[in-house]
Amino acid sequence: MESQQRVQFHIYDNVAIILILLAGIGIEVGRCEPNSESNNFNTNVSCSFKKHLLTSYFEKYECLLDSNFQDFITNELHFRMCEVLPDDLRLVIRPSVLQRHLIGEGSHRHLSSSIRFDIDPKAVSQLSIHYCEVIFVERLPSGVFADPFELQHLLQRGVFADVAVFGDTNLELPSFLSNRSAVEVHMKVDPNSLSTHKNGFEIKVDLPLHARYQRLDEGGYSTVEFGDPDMFMQCCLEGKSHNQSCYIPTSNNGTEPKIGAAVWRIPSGIKGHEGVVSVVTFISAFLSTLLIVLTSIFLSDIKRCKSSKQL
Amino acid sequence: MLNRDLSTYYISLFHLFFSFFFSVSYFMVFETCYVQRSPCVFLFLARHAMVSMDIRTVLLFSAIFRIILIIYGEWQDSHMEVRYTDVDYLVFSDAASFMASGESPYKRTTYRYSPLLAFLLIPNSIIHRSWGKFLFSALDLLVGWFIYTILKLRKVPENLCMYSVVVWLFNPFTFTIGTRGNCEPIVCAMNLWIIICLMKGNVLQAAFWYGLVVHLRIYPIIYALPIILVLDPDFFQSGLKPKLQNWSSSQGKTPQSHNRVTGQYDLVTALKNVFTRRRIMFGLVSGAVFLFCTGLFFYLYRWEFLHEALLYHLTRTDPRHNFSIYFYHIYLRSEHEFSVVEKLISFLPQFIVQLVLIFSFAQDLPFCLFLQTFAFVEFNKVITAQYFVWFFCLLPLILPWSKMTLKWEGLCCIFVWMGAQSHWLMWAYLLEFKGRNVFVQLWLASILFLAANTFVLIMIIRRHKFAPVFEQRDRATSKNAAKLK
Repeated sequence: MESQQRVQFHIYDNVAIILILLAGIGIEVGRCEPNSESNNFNTNVSCSFKKHLLTSYFEKYECLLDSNFQDFITNELHFRMCEVLPDDLRLVIRPSVLQRHLIGEGSHRHLSSSIRFDIDPKAVSQLSIHYCEVIFVERLPSGVFADPFELQHLLQRGVFADVAVFGDTNLELPSFLSNRSAVEVHMKVDPNSLSTHKNGFEIKVDLPLHARYQRLDEGGYSTVEFGDPDMFMQCCLEGKSHNQSCYIPTSNNGTEPKIGAAVWRIPSGIKGHEGVVSVVTFISAFLSTLLIVLTSIFLSDIKRCKSSKQL
Repeated sequence: MLNRDLSTYYISLFHLFFSFFFSVSYFMVFETCYVQRSPCVFLFLARHAMVSMDIRTVLLFSAIFRIILIIYGEWQDSHMEVRYTDVDYLVFSDAASFMASGESPYKRTTYRYSPLLAFLLIPNSIIHRSWGKFLFSALDLLVGWFIYTILKLRKVPENLCMYSVVVWLFNPFTFTIGTRGNCEPIVCAMNLWIIICLMKGNVLQAAFWYGLVVHLRIYPIIYALPIILVLDPDFFQSGLKPKLQNWSSSQGKTPQSHNRVTGQYDLVTALKNVFTRRRIMFGLVSGAVFLFCTGLFFYLYRWEFLHEALLYHLTRTDPRHNFSIYFYHIYLRSEHEFSVVEKLISFLPQFIVQLVLIFSFAQDLPFCLFLQTFAFVEFNKVITAQYFVWFFCLLPLILPWSKMTLKWEGLCCIFVWMGAQSHWLMWAYLLEFKGRNVFVQLWLASILFLAANTFVLIMIIRRHKFAPVFEQRDRATSKNAAKLK
């Protein structure tokens, strides 16, 4: 997938990367490096942005905490902010609607998120975008995980442009023994839809998720609530010739969309059962053992009696 | 995880559905042949259709069938959401491609097998990704051939041999295991080959393969004691091949004189004869092979190998639901460390049952191994449907000695075992796919499944015509032989 993208980049001489962070949702801008040694259109040109946004986060922090992540977004990205982009660029593409719901029942469900991006076609056409990706970061609550291998399978089937899981992905651990994880999904945006569709475009992210075994609870169910996802947009632009990637800081101008929280009720073991379960488990194991042992010894005895009679 | 769980259900339901049909037909044919001899046209035809096919034809049909399944699997993988290929197969393949590029197979997380397996699958990334499936299916066919060989060595009539081979080759559970890319046929084939080596008196080779199979999959370690016991100086004498007992001699109403050893193994004699040359040789060679493999891979892959391929399996306690009765107990206690007493109590039933079965039935080696494996799985702390294949490969070896009739013992066993499994699956479905809190019901269903397993095990023991593999040689003759030497 990545190599395909790179092939696309080869035909351009001067490419830039834009990262825009919109109200709570950002657009990440990297910059495509020009090939300084040649003016040939077929020479290597690649975007210099980091492949995964979360790689930089996990280089700095060991585990996923909301406060750390917010710090990372504001400080880390601010530190490398972009100075060359026009201020009004962050208004060119705005996510307007976001719907989230969990599909299915049981321990294996899909978290479906639809995001509608409003765009200003005129402004977009001025930017001469030839490639864009929406970066969707889902910080999973404790007790839920995404299977990296399953996502890899979806990636192979072309559902996503790129996907990676960060944090604790040990599938077997119960929630109280595992750390939180996050999924970073890259979705391709057709550049034509940016300039031709007046009403913007819509992106749907369908993430297969799995419930871990929950902490024991008297009620028999524990509730897992999903927070809002973080979204960024990453574009390669023609005509920019900067060697460094840069970021635009988050703009909190109150246009952050409100999301109906997705809630997952997961069955959990009941602590009160502990004593009875242990006792009955061991009694049944010993009863079965006793029956098998008696049968074996009894039958062996019969056979021994038979053989002694014959002798 | 999703695929792993789905595939478990998929296997179990598929298996239940078909093996019910299959087992009923088997028992019907078997019973007509040997119990009732009733003139029923359908059964007569079924019987003669089976008899008229020779082992080569059966193997050929099975091979074609498996190739079709592998091709179908490729189609399903690329067109459907739920893959036909076992999720573990993808793990092996990834590990093999790491190995092919000179890296550690343990770079692939959840690869918890010996590097040998990844080595065998290196052609997956060179020739074709289905290489491993063909390899496993070929071994699956080899298991069929080994079953036939063992039964032939024990002079079982041709038609009974065929039924038993068919029980393995056309059991939907086993042919899906191989074609989906599960590695169990390797272990099954190796286990049966060890039995064949022992029957032919080739102790050294048996020891070599035994060391290797324990390295590959740890569970055959439970076979060590019965193998050591069966290497009795009464059966194995220097310079002589062990004498095998014929099937027909165990079918007579009055057991023949050599059947006097069919009873319980004499513990005192066992202790006296424990340090014979063959036993020491078997122990040393198999131990050396095991240690060599383990040492070599420890040298190559260090602690990663030891943790993933050995220690993980020895210390595995899974709090997620599985057929084991211990799962809910483990879940409820997983917030604390398990005490030594608890570990000991949960280990004791498995240990006691193994010991008793070994000392009661070791001389009928295939029967003993079957019972041991069945009981080992039954009392294990983690049980998945995949483990059932461990004893399915040994089942055809004991069927010709079973006196179980269709009405109503055979049917009863089938119904009880499958009923308990379906009942468990129903609650597991409600928990896992409907999100209902049915932990208690599921745990009770596990206990019911344990009861069903115990019932079936006892029925099998009761209705089995005990037949030692080897015939005891006359002690006087052996002494004379020794003197002459």
